Amino acid sequence: MDFLRPTSWRDALEAKAHHPDATPIAGGTDVMVEINFDHRRPTSLLDLTGIDELASWSEHGGKLRIGAGLPYTRLIDELGDRLPGLAIAARTVGSPQIRNRGTLGGNLASASPAGDGHPPLLASGAEVEVESVRGTRLLPVEEFFTGVKRHALASDELISAVHIAPATGAQQFSKIGTRNAMVIAVCTFAIALHPERQRVGTGLGSAAPTPLRAIEAEEFLSGELADSGQWDSPRPLDDSVVRQFGDLVARAASPIDDVRSTADYRTHALGVMARRTLGWVWDEYRNHPSSTGRPECA
Amino acid sequence: MTTAEESMLRANAIGTPLTRLDGTEKVTGTAPYAVEHPVDSPAHLHPLQAAIALGRATGIDTSAAEAEPGVLAVLTHANAPRLASTGNGELEILQSGEVGYRGQFLGGVIAETPEIARRAADLIRVHYERYEHDVELRADRDDLYKPEQVNPAFDTDTAQGDADGALASAAVTLDATYSTPMEHNNPMEPHATIACWTDGELTLHDSTQGVYWTQAAVAPLFELDQQQVRVISPHVGGGFGSKGIPHPNVVLAAMAARLVPGRPVKFPLTRQQMFSVVGYRTPTIQHVRLGADEQGRLSAITLDVVEQTAKVKEFAEQTAIPTRTMYAAPHRRTSHRLAALDTPVPTWMRAPGECPGMFGPEVAMDEMALACGLDPIEFRVRNEPETDPESGLPFSSRNLVACLREGARRFGWHDRDPRPGTRRHGEWLVGTGVAASTYPVFAMPGSQATIRATPDGRYAVRIGAVDIGTGTWTALTQIAADALEVSVGEVDLEIGSTTLPTASGAGGSSGINSWGSPIVAAARTLRARLDEHGGTVPAEGVEATEGMPDNPHTSQYAMHSFGAQFAEVWVNADTGEVSVPRLLGIFAAGRIINARTGRSQLLGGMTMGLSMALHEESVLDPRFGHVVNHDLAEYHIATNADVGSLEVDWLDEHDPYVNPMGSKGIGELGITGTAAAITNAAYHATGIRVRELPLHPDKFLR
Repeated sequence: MDFLRPTSWRDALEAKAHHPDATPIAGGTDVMVEINFDHRRPTSLLDLTGIDELASWSEHGGKLRIGAGLPYTRLIDELGDRLPGLAIAARTVGSPQIRNRGTLGGNLASASPAGDGHPPLLASGAEVEVESVRGTRLLPVEEFFTGVKRHALASDELISAVHIAPATGAQQFSKIGTRNAMVIAVCTFAIALHPERQRVGTGLGSAAPTPLRAIEAEEFLSGELADSGQWDSPRPLDDSVVRQFGDLVARAASPIDDVRSTADYRTHALGVMARRTLGWVWDEYRNHPSSTGRPECA
Repeated sequence: MTTAEESMLRANAIGTPLTRLDGTEKVTGTAPYAVEHPVDSPAHLHPLQAAIALGRATGIDTSAAEAEPGVLAVLTHANAPRLASTGNGELEILQSGEVGYRGQFLGGVIAETPEIARRAADLIRVHYERYEHDVELRADRDDLYKPEQVNPAFDTDTAQGDADGALASAAVTLDATYSTPMEHNNPMEPHATIACWTDGELTLHDSTQGVYWTQAAVAPLFELDQQQVRVISPHVGGGFGSKGIPHPNVVLAAMAARLVPGRPVKFPLTRQQMFSVVGYRTPTIQHVRLGADEQGRLSAITLDVVEQTAKVKEFAEQTAIPTRTMYAAPHRRTSHRLAALDTPVPTWMRAPGECPGMFGPEVAMDEMALACGLDPIEFRVRNEPETDPESGLPFSSRNLVACLREGARRFGWHDRDPRPGTRRHGEWLVGTGVAASTYPVFAMPGSQATIRATPDGRYAVRIGAVDIGTGTWTALTQIAADALEVSVGEVDLEIGSTTLPTASGAGGSSGINSWGSPIVAAARTLRARLDEHGGTVPAEGVEATEGMPDNPHTSQYAMHSFGAQFAEVWVNADTGEVSVPRLLGIFAAGRIINARTGRSQLLGGMTMGLSMALHEESVLDPRFGHVVNHDLAEYHIATNADVGSLEVDWLDEHDPYVNPMGSKGIGELGITGTAAAITNAAYHATGIRVRELPLHPDKFLR
């Protein structure tokens, strides 16, 4: 197995162009496990940890650009106030040791339907910046996932960053697992309020072959809130609206039975999490329309 | 003749919370575990495992593996040493190409590095003839059979009176079936061995619960005298039973080392390999029937257990054993039936028998208390037996009722509203539950201790005991000090090797009983000899060796420890998630030798019981015969975030009959009853009675 260790982003792109079958490795929290269990036997590894700029973040034109190599721990510490939904999800990833190593870019590249970072990215309308020696393109995150552990990268492309707008309204994330820590999700749900464009964003995890948005649920709730003028003068939500939102989220899912749970339970739990997190974000929006989210983990 | 009271040891060091004598070594990483022992130029073994559940390897092509640079030898049934037939189908590996279960060892590669060995093992091509396999346990199978006895040597079935008749005429009855899943032991240190042959003799640095147990199992297989197999194991990173009876990994290491004489061969198992070869707790199906009169006095108790064993070797878990001791009833029956399957061999897992056997019946007691309109503590008190229900023997000591009452007081049980599903904390339903714990007092024969006093004022205590993380180094030093009437600092204990006097292993919570008793006997002999020397140690020193003394009380008394466990459980009304914010265990287990390590063992037992209640389940894929969730990412064990307030205490129980220390053994007591207490509390919270472990969220969404 070849081990390629570029020290600049340009060299990394050159290396990927020359070795299109090379497996990129950042924190190694997925790749090393797969190698260890012999699920994957790469001909070469492309180590991205020597590229400092990949583990940084910046702000341009009102959006945050998060380098693909930024570990979860730094994401939580440095961006948790502006990306509360993503920070809540990041806190549920593995253990402190895993969060020190694991990165958002790596989570995307693994493209697991159970990846904890994906639902908040979907709910916030994030874009994935991918790059090759041929150039750069920006993909809406829902177009990035193409199947179970499959994504839209060309063989010479690397994930360089995630572009995401700081929260303008409350955000939440909820995860159910079969224990309280260090657990692969049974299912997850993220919600984000976008009052500036009067929209609600959603993201579902472990609910289908890919992470996905519950678009009907978003349309329904955004429409209800706009029609009733609630963005400007928020009131407690009608139970029927909350229930309908939960039902539409559950309907968006197409889960499976597996070792962790049953499809029926997942469908049920997604509806519960949708209702629950909607209650949280709406309470917060009513009480502090300008704030950006509950700091603690669900 | 001295009375039992007179022969009891006066406690001085015993009972104190002496810190672990091996603690500094352990936390600084200098205590050597099995494969960490320094050896010269070790070779490394990687196993070849069967990729089918049943059949025969018709051809094994090792040519590519043998051609790999760094490969020293490839082991298969074609070149494996012939083993003597000892009737142990689990250990007699590589004698043919037959495959009895998926993951069974078919060979291995010995190489200069672990990486080369693993790579080369992967290059071996095996051709199989497959037979149809059978790995599914069900209670309605028509081929269940009655084993001759259950582990270790209990009657398979027992019966007294007319249980069916009593049930037919009882005022209140319960008839319910409970189940526990397949569960796997996961000690932190995997099973690991260094094997080395020199001059026809075998040295094993092994992670084992008994150096002499390993010796006794391995020596006859290779047709060696016992003393030609030397086993060394000063520190063990947990065993829980899975390192008690040796498993095929030890045999494979010894076979591999035979191919490279003079070179030590290292063989630590991976976590995934452990799920195939080091045993597991059988799934159990427990059919409980109870009958009582209007006052809640039991007239009949029956427990019929169905569980599995392996075709390659029988292991019969003694699940019904605690039911023979717990509660009074004139009419009673217990039975065990087995399905022999094409699976790996089940084995000991912390409190085999008592742990699963205190789930179904203790949940049944909760259900029956409600049916009788009684508080579950009061119901248990009403059915407290005066003597051991089946043997009729008096108990050497029995303080179940005192544990229940003290626990109730500490837990705040007195104002509990018995109605289920009526307490809410936001979206959480809140409940409390109780269950009893019990474990027998086992004493193993055969241990010997030697103590030598030297003029420098030191006492060398030597016994081939082991410390599997429980605190043996510390506790035996405390016992020796009190028996010698010296301070702990004057005692030099040596354990963990077959170069030391014979000893039984760490199993059945019997270590302190079986090793402490000969230490006390040797100390008393030594002190008598010192008295002959006028109380001074002569220049050449003084030595005494004693074996395990006969305990005349064993046949006169029923000897068991007891306890009461209380749980507070929150179940989410919407998602069914289960949380256990509070557990309390009150135990009566004779004298506790070390208050610190003793508390740790009970806390650890209860944590493992919590883990059993909420998480642990090995999912066997019937199509392929392997455990799907075969690593710690998917076989969930409770994490810190799952354990809330966990409180342990014990009663000062005086029992002069069990042994001179007055101790009963606490390694397994703490895991018994925990899952039942949690399940009973979850019922109290929700009104939903779950009878199958683990308590996964979907079970509360009925």
